[in-house]
Amino acid sequence: MTSKLPVTVLTGFLGSGKTTLLNRILTENHGLRIAVIENEFGEVGIDHELVINADEEIFEMNNGCICCTVRGDLIRIIGSLMKRRDQFDHILIETTGLADPGPVIQTFFVDDEMKDKLALNAIIALVDARHIGLHLDSSEEAVKQIAFADSILLNKTDLATPAELDALEARVKAINGVAKLQRCQNANVPIASVLDIGGFNLDRSIGIDPRFLDPEYPFEWGGIFDAPAGTLTLEASKKPDPSMTTVIIPVSGTDDESLALAREVAMRAFSPDAIGAPSGHTISADGIPYDLILRAGSMNWTCEIVEPGPLAIFTQHYPEELGLLFLTESSELQPLIAASYKPDHSHDETVTSVGIEADGECDARKLDAWLSKLLRERGTDIYRMKGVFAIKGNPNRFIFQGVHMLLDPTDGGPWGYKPRRSSLVFIGRDLDRDELNQSFRKCLA
Amino acid sequence: MSRLTDPEETEEIEIRSAADLLPLMWSADLPDYALDLRWSPDGSHLAALPSTGMPGIHDRKTNAVKNLPAHSGGNGSIAWHPQGSILATFGQDGILRLHDISSRTSRELQLPRGWTGRCAWNADGSLIAAAVGKAVHVIDPHTLETLQIIDDHRSTVTDLVWHPVLSNQLGTASDGGARMWRIGEKKPFARIDDGVAAVLTTWSPDGRWLVTSDQSPSVHLYDLKKRAPLFIQGFETKIKAIAWQTGGTSDLPWLALGGRTVITVWPCFGKNGPRGAKPIQLYGHLKEVSALDFPIDGPYLASGARDGLVFLWLPHHSNGPALIAREESEITTVRWSPDGLTLAYGTASGRIAIHTLSHKV
Repeated sequence: MTSKLPVTVLTGFLGSGKTTLLNRILTENHGLRIAVIENEFGEVGIDHELVINADEEIFEMNNGCICCTVRGDLIRIIGSLMKRRDQFDHILIETTGLADPGPVIQTFFVDDEMKDKLALNAIIALVDARHIGLHLDSSEEAVKQIAFADSILLNKTDLATPAELDALEARVKAINGVAKLQRCQNANVPIASVLDIGGFNLDRSIGIDPRFLDPEYPFEWGGIFDAPAGTLTLEASKKPDPSMTTVIIPVSGTDDESLALAREVAMRAFSPDAIGAPSGHTISADGIPYDLILRAGSMNWTCEIVEPGPLAIFTQHYPEELGLLFLTESSELQPLIAASYKPDHSHDETVTSVGIEADGECDARKLDAWLSKLLRERGTDIYRMKGVFAIKGNPNRFIFQGVHMLLDPTDGGPWGYKPRRSSLVFIGRDLDRDELNQSFRKCLA
Repeated sequence: MSRLTDPEETEEIEIRSAADLLPLMWSADLPDYALDLRWSPDGSHLAALPSTGMPGIHDRKTNAVKNLPAHSGGNGSIAWHPQGSILATFGQDGILRLHDISSRTSRELQLPRGWTGRCAWNADGSLIAAAVGKAVHVIDPHTLETLQIIDDHRSTVTDLVWHPVLSNQLGTASDGGARMWRIGEKKPFARIDDGVAAVLTTWSPDGRWLVTSDQSPSVHLYDLKKRAPLFIQGFETKIKAIAWQTGGTSDLPWLALGGRTVITVWPCFGKNGPRGAKPIQLYGHLKEVSALDFPIDGPYLASGARDGLVFLWLPHHSNGPALIAREESEITTVRWSPDGLTLAYGTASGRIAIHTLSHKV
């Protein structure tokens, strides 16, 4: 039995650095023979023996069903490449900057020959750190490119500040919380990280982003400051949304445990019935959380600190997103300890990812019925799915990945001594986290 | 009788052997996957095209093989001049080479770079066409001058075919369907707008039907007599092999289509052609049928498939197949010689073989 030829799909908006990465891959001494299928009207043409220009022949296999929209040119060109004895080690497909990567990926699910001979290694999305914010606001394709990705390269990091990068990273993760994310300049990443992803592996995905299945919080950031007595000013360089919640809590220490305790207090403070603190309020060292009330149009908020000492501050968004500074009467305060949290909000993105994890085994019949119904009713909005299931009566792990309504189930091998549990991820539009969670749990045996 | 077992599906069938009828006469190995085999019009030579490496010409009388220059980036297609001894080869380097096997000379034309498709001669050999990207270049073979570029295609031209009789008509397949052109005109005179990516196109020997297969499990026909399209669907997989049974009688031609393991043969004569007709279905292959050919004016259908089997059929009799050969890799092409007495086939591993009828059937 011959092994399947790995295929990597390279996507990303115009100017994101796809051609730079392609050139790097083709010129680096990695010892692999890589065929590149590039757009006929690429942003920058690459003249290389192994580069094949393709025009996008997108067609519908089945009366307009979105999941059967595939790329005819890829079937033809890859079919031709497979007829050569000097086989390639890898095929790399570049999508156009304005393309929805869905049809490219679906080609490998729908066409029998492609399924038999090729293995979809990964979808890599290049993101232009400087301009992607604008594209995400205006282009559905830019959002989809991130949503479909297994790996995201946050490129051109030299053109953005660390604060902007943190904010952008948070926004990208809100869309796709599963993909591996790397920061880079000039698309300079280890080639192995692009070509050697080795197919879908949910365990590894979770390992890459340990926060993916973490509990969610109403805030993204928290830190403890050593605050002197006197006036403390929170000053933003970007106008904050008056509804944004920020909480100040006098605490007793500056270590991890103190921050963890404060985090739990802050959870309550983010509830609607928390005590409001308008600008100019006095903060006393009594452990009470103060929910800052921001004035519409105001760029700063002040409070009076009675007792000097540790002060925990939790913000709904990263301070860098607003250019938020913590100022005493004479200097800028820096946090002694800080942490970021997986937010329960998604920056108003309609495309988000939902992760579900449950101990125990699933009932195969219930799971099948649930997935069938879900994909039938919501398949258009679900861009990608990935899951590892423990099925009652089946000693092996059951793995699937999917695109829209298409599912590709595989046997994941024995569980061994690992606890039998199920993990699944949906990335898509207008996903209802609670509904997905509750309905999946009905599939448990 | 042979017992054939599909190792993956553990299916077992019994097949009559045609080894006595069509014994092996000659075989050789190409440097790569056998893309195509083509007999010269007089049947004296067999041209063999590997996917990479040097194409070869086999002399049927002496069994000598002459190698031709390979195309860098991979070979594309070969075509014999309909009357003469010129063989055209075309490849991913965009070079169209015309080899005169009598004078042992060759000439070449560099066409623009792009994904190259088929090259083909028109009926009287006065023109040769070659597909590059979205364009078909119509070339005068004497001067190697490009007379016309037909580029009104939505995407890459995946196949082209000349009318079997009329030397000024050309059919092209691309994304969205097929188009039929008269040389010298800028717009197609007919088209099949099926909306899917057409892959193969062929013209019936009587010139009535232009047929395309595409990336979906369907076949589209255009009836030039009625100027109306026709659509056949319901196949299990896309159609990878097409062959016409020819002849001068009124109950011809028949169209053979190979998709999954079944070969379907459709009547394409009479008022309605295949419309409303029940096809003949031929069962025997264990994997997808990948190659079909009828001899000129002959009843024997040869087939090859991914199961490595080469079969001989008499489609109008329900006798089932007879086994000609059994190879270890996929059969990629089968070709009857012009006299209908010799069958050549090629495989994915590059093996080519010639079997000749031992006696008149």
